[in-house]
Amino acid sequence: MSSRALEQFLSGVEKRAFKIAQLSLRNDDDALDAVQDSMMKLVQSYASRSSEEWRPLFYRILANCIRDFQRRRTVRGRIMAWLPSRDAEDDEEYDPIAQAPGHEPTPARRLELDEAIGVLETAVAELPARQKQAFLLRNFEGLDVSETASAMGCSEGSVKTHYFRALETLRARLGEVI
Amino acid sequence: MNQETQDSGFEKRTREVLDESASRLDGRTLSKLTQARHAALEQLQRPARSRWWFFAPAGAAAAVAVLAVMTWTGGTRPTATAPVAALNEDLEFLSDADAEIVAEGEDLEFYEWAAGEVES
Repeated sequence: MSSRALEQFLSGVEKRAFKIAQLSLRNDDDALDAVQDSMMKLVQSYASRSSEEWRPLFYRILANCIRDFQRRRTVRGRIMAWLPSRDAEDDEEYDPIAQAPGHEPTPARRLELDEAIGVLETAVAELPARQKQAFLLRNFEGLDVSETASAMGCSEGSVKTHYFRALETLRARLGEVI
Repeated sequence: MNQETQDSGFEKRTREVLDESASRLDGRTLSKLTQARHAALEQLQRPARSRWWFFAPAGAAAAVAVLAVMTWTGGTRPTATAPVAALNEDLEFLSDADAEIVAEGEDLEFYEWAAGEVES
């Protein structure tokens, strides 16, 4: 399989993959690391597979990476609980250039979308992990039920249940806003 | 409006909002994603020759061991059968140890060179 095809695939999924990781991990650096690890593993292990297989495989790898990051964070949290507290913001230096948005939409639409993005991402981030995964893979990434089941490592029936519950929760919370 | 239609509209709107969010990623994130993609794809560009160096120390040690065994057994080799048998065992051991590497076809060039050095 050509590297051009792989590059096209990776560049096509990287933004959505990052958003999925970001909403799951709620940390930009961890999300970037999870996406990079997933890209590396896909290329290392599955570059020779047919391009139709890449998407579910990539999201399966990403789901595992996200789970590993969450586990590591849990362990780190247990360890840090024993240490003296420290202000996390001390670690972050504000960089106005790095924080600048990638492009400028029209002001009115931007305001609407700003609000919608804020409430939707908060609501999605607060979904139970499996519902969040099913919702993001099905709705955002556009995988079908079979591909989502493959990426999540569960049955198609479970995907449908998780997705339905996620939609119900989000609709109840955001029906008036979105 | 029935439930299915409501959900379809809601699903569509949430997708649009998430797409918009993804399209607004800041420059730092986009740059990091590009770097990550290039780093991943670089693995495809690495020639097999670069892996040659990974196994070079093991191969060099094997070559030195072969030379040492041959030097050590050199004085008795023409007449005695026992040292020849010992040498065969040693060579068999060395070839077994490196069989996996050779089987992968990654170091044939090195082993050919090493064999040439031993013969000369």
